[in-house]
Amino acid sequence: MAEDYITGDMLDVYLYENQQLLENLQEIVLDQKDAECFDEDSINEIFRTMHTIKGSSGIMMFDEITAVAHKLEDVFFFLRESHPDNVPHLELVEYVLRVADFITGEMDKLSDGEAADGDGSELLAELDQFLTKIKGPADPKEKKAPAKENVHVEPTQFYIAPAAAHEEHYFKIYLTYSPGIQMANMHAYKTVYALKEIAEDMMYSPEDILTNEDSGNEILENGFKILLKTQSSEEKLHEIVRPGYELEKVDIYACSEKDYLQGFDSIGSEIRIDLDASVEEIEDRAKQKQAGSRPPAKPPAPGDFVIASKEPGRPKKLAKDKPKKSEKAAFISVDIGKMDLLMDLIGELVISQSVVLQNPDLKVPGLNLDNFHKAAGQMSKISTDLQNVIMSMRMVPLTNTFQKMNRIVFDVSRKLGKEIEFEMVGEHTEVDKNIIEHISDPLMHLVRNAVDHGIESKEERLASGKTEKGKVTLSARTESGKVWIGVQDNGKGLDREKILAKARKQGLLEPGKPESAYSDKEVYQFITLPGFSTNEQVTEYSGRGVGMDVVVSNIQAIGGTLEIESTPGQGSLMNLKIPLTLAIIDGIVMEVGASSFVIETGVVKEFVSVTEKKMIHEPNGEESVMIRGECYPVLRLGRWYHLRNYNAKVEDGMMVIIEVEKKSLCLFVDRLIGKQEIVVKPIPDYVKKVKGLSGCTQLGDGSIALILDAAGLIE
Amino acid sequence: MSEFDTQKGKYVTFQSGNEFFGLKIQYVNEIIVFQEITEIPESEDYIKGLINLRGKIIPVIDVRIRFKQEPFEYNDRTCIIVINVNNLVVGLIVEKIAEVVEIQEQNILPSPSIARGDKVQNKYVYAIGKVGDEVKLLLDPERLLNDEDLSLIEQANEGNLLEGEGE
Repeated sequence: MAEDYITGDMLDVYLYENQQLLENLQEIVLDQKDAECFDEDSINEIFRTMHTIKGSSGIMMFDEITAVAHKLEDVFFFLRESHPDNVPHLELVEYVLRVADFITGEMDKLSDGEAADGDGSELLAELDQFLTKIKGPADPKEKKAPAKENVHVEPTQFYIAPAAAHEEHYFKIYLTYSPGIQMANMHAYKTVYALKEIAEDMMYSPEDILTNEDSGNEILENGFKILLKTQSSEEKLHEIVRPGYELEKVDIYACSEKDYLQGFDSIGSEIRIDLDASVEEIEDRAKQKQAGSRPPAKPPAPGDFVIASKEPGRPKKLAKDKPKKSEKAAFISVDIGKMDLLMDLIGELVISQSVVLQNPDLKVPGLNLDNFHKAAGQMSKISTDLQNVIMSMRMVPLTNTFQKMNRIVFDVSRKLGKEIEFEMVGEHTEVDKNIIEHISDPLMHLVRNAVDHGIESKEERLASGKTEKGKVTLSARTESGKVWIGVQDNGKGLDREKILAKARKQGLLEPGKPESAYSDKEVYQFITLPGFSTNEQVTEYSGRGVGMDVVVSNIQAIGGTLEIESTPGQGSLMNLKIPLTLAIIDGIVMEVGASSFVIETGVVKEFVSVTEKKMIHEPNGEESVMIRGECYPVLRLGRWYHLRNYNAKVEDGMMVIIEVEKKSLCLFVDRLIGKQEIVVKPIPDYVKKVKGLSGCTQLGDGSIALILDAAGLIE
Repeated sequence: MSEFDTQKGKYVTFQSGNEFFGLKIQYVNEIIVFQEITEIPESEDYIKGLINLRGKIIPVIDVRIRFKQEPFEYNDRTCIIVINVNNLVVGLIVEKIAEVVEIQEQNILPSPSIARGDKVQNKYVYAIGKVGDEVKLLLDPERLLNDEDLSLIEQANEGNLLEGEGE
C-alpha cells in the first residue's frame, strides 16, 4: 500500500524535515544534559518534535519509526502533564538520544534507497519500562491504571454499539485533523484508501485531495467528510479510522439511505460517537447537540493523566493547544548540485571577464578606451559581488558539526565514567560547505582523544588538586582568511618524556641529536606520525595507533595544518588552521619554460634573487641555497618536471621560498607573473595523479596553469 | 530515440598515418581546431596535456602516439575530436578529419584475426568497415582511452578507497 502513493519527492521532504527536527532535538537535549531535568520549554519542544515525526512517519507508513516516536512522545506527555520529580535525567537523555539515533539510522537507510526495516521493539520495551518506572512512585493512581502503555493503538470498544453484520449501513464520517499538520490531503487520502477496502460506495469532500495541494488547507479548516455505504459495522469503521497520530477527531454518524443520497448537506445522525471522549462526555454531547451547539472541550484536569492516557486519541487533544509552528518562509532549501553549478558558472564568468578585459585586441595603440574602462570597471564590480554572494551562500555555520562533537563528548564521557563539561565558543563561525564535510572526522578524533586521553579520571583529578569535572572546549574563529578550530582540554597534557621514549623505541629520533635539543613542538609532532600512540591501553575509543596521523593527513588534504600545544598538568590544545574555502584561492602565478604554475599565496614566504655563488651543489645532484645564513633545499621546477626551455642559470630566474609546517623549500622558477585569485579545478581523472600538483586553473588569457601542492612538493 | 536513429551507422572518419579510422558518431561531441595544449609533467607520452574547452578543462591524447606510430608535426589541418565515452570527455588529436560516412551493417566485418604486424593498433580496432573501395578501421573508443590506463586509474581509486576506509 505504501508504494502506491508515496513518491520520491515526498520521501525527500520527509527525510529533510525530520533530519532538521532531529538535529534540533539533539541540540536541546545536549544543551540540558547537565541540568537536573528538562525545563518546560524543552519538554514541550521534544514532545512536539516527536509528535511531528510520528505524524509524518505515519503518513509514510514507516511503522517502526512511528511506534518509537510515539512511545517517546508518551514519555514526554507524561512529563509534561504530571511533572514527576524523580526522573533519572541522564537516563532520559540517553533514551532520547537513542530514539534519535534509531530514527536517524532508519532515515539513513531510506535515503540510501533501502527499506526502513530496523527493529525498534527492544527500544520500545525499554522505554515502556522507563515510563512505568517514572510513573510508578510518582502517582498513587498508578494502581488504577494497568501498565499498558500502548493504549492508543488498542481499539477501545466498550462504548461502541454492536451492529448487526451483513447489512448495508450508511455512515457519515467527519474527520478533523490536528491543526498545523502537513499535507492533510495526503492523510485524508490515506483514510480514503483504507476505507475503500470495505466500502461499497463512497463519496468524499473535498474531492480533489490528490490533485489539489490547497485541499490540505481546506481539510484543516473545514474537516474532511466521507459518505460511506458499507456492509461493515461501525465498530469496524472505528478500527479503520481511528483518531491517531494526525487525526484529531473522528465523528462517525450512522445515517439512512435517504441521508446518504442527499449528500453532504444534511446531518441526520441519531447517534454520535466520539472516540475522543468518555462515555459521560458522549452523553453530555448528545444532549448538547440537540441544543445545536458543539460541546466545549473538556480541559485536562491536573492529575488525571493516567486516565487520560488510557483513552485513545487523547494526546491529539493536546496537540490542539500546540502553538502553530512558525513558518520558515525566509529560507528555501536548494539542491547542493545546483549551487555547485552556479559556483562553476561564476568561476567561468570571472575567467571570461578577464579574457575580455585583457584582450590583446585592446592593446592596439591609438585606441580611445575611456568608456570601455568605465564599463569594464562596473562589470568587474558586479562579478566580484556575485562571487561574494555565492561564496556566502555556500558558507555554513559550524554549529551542527560542533553539536555532533557535543554528542561525542557526552557518549564517551558516560562510557568512561568521566564527568566532563563541554563548552563551545564561536560555533557560528561560517565555513564553506565542502570544508565542513572534511573536518568533521578529524575533529571527532581530536575530541575523542581529548576526552579519552586528555582528561584524567576523577580520582587523578582530585589527587592533583583539580576540579572533579573535566572540561573540553571547542572553539572556532576566523583570522586572516583562515578558520582556526581549537580543541582544548584541561587534562593532564602531553607527556614529553613518554613521547620521547616511544620515539626512541621506534627509532624516530635523529641520531646524534640530544633529546633535550628537541623543542616541545617538535616532540609533540611525533604523535602525528603513523603508528604512534602512547596510550598503553587500547580502549573502544582511541589508542589503536591509527589516529593522529590520519587526522593530520585529512587536514592537510584540504590545505590545513595542525598545531599542538600542551602544558603538563594543565591540558593540551589542538589547533586546526583551515582555509575558508577550497574553490577560490589567492595564488602567485609563475612561469617555467612554456608552462605556467600557480602556488597558494599563503605558503610563500619570500621571493629572492640569488647568485651562483650562494648555491651549494651536493655530489648526489641535490642543491641548496644559502640565504641570510640559512640553508634551503632547492627544487628546480623545470628539471623536476622535465620541462623544455627553462632557465638553467640561477641569476636569470627567481627563487620562491615556501614554507609548510615549519619545513621550507626553495622553488626555482623562470619568471613571476603576478598575484591573482584563481578558481581551482581538478585535473581530469583521466590523467594520472602527478606528485606536487593539486589541480589546475584557467588564467586570464584562457590558458591553463597547474596548481602546485606545496605540502606535496616539500615531501 | 529518433536522434539515435539518425545517427545510426554514421561514423566520423579521420586519417592517421596511411590509415583511415572510424569512430561511431554517438561518441563524438564536437570537432575543434587545434589549440594550445598545456603539458602535464610526468604523464604518459600520448597524453599531450590539457586544453581549455570553453571553461572546461579536458585532457587530450595524440592518437598516433597512442598507436605507437611516429609522432607528427601539428599544423593547421590538425584537429581535435572531442569524444565522450561514459562521461569521460577526452580530446583526440588527429592529423586530418576525413568525413562523416554511413556504413551499412552488412559492410562491417569483424577485425581480421591474423595479426597485421601492428598489434598495438589492432587492439583498438574492433571491426573493419567497407565504404566503396576504401576500408575504414573502426575504433573502439573505450579501449582507446582506457585499456590499461583505466585499470591504472581504477587501481589508484581503489587504493584511495582503501585508504579512506582505513581512516
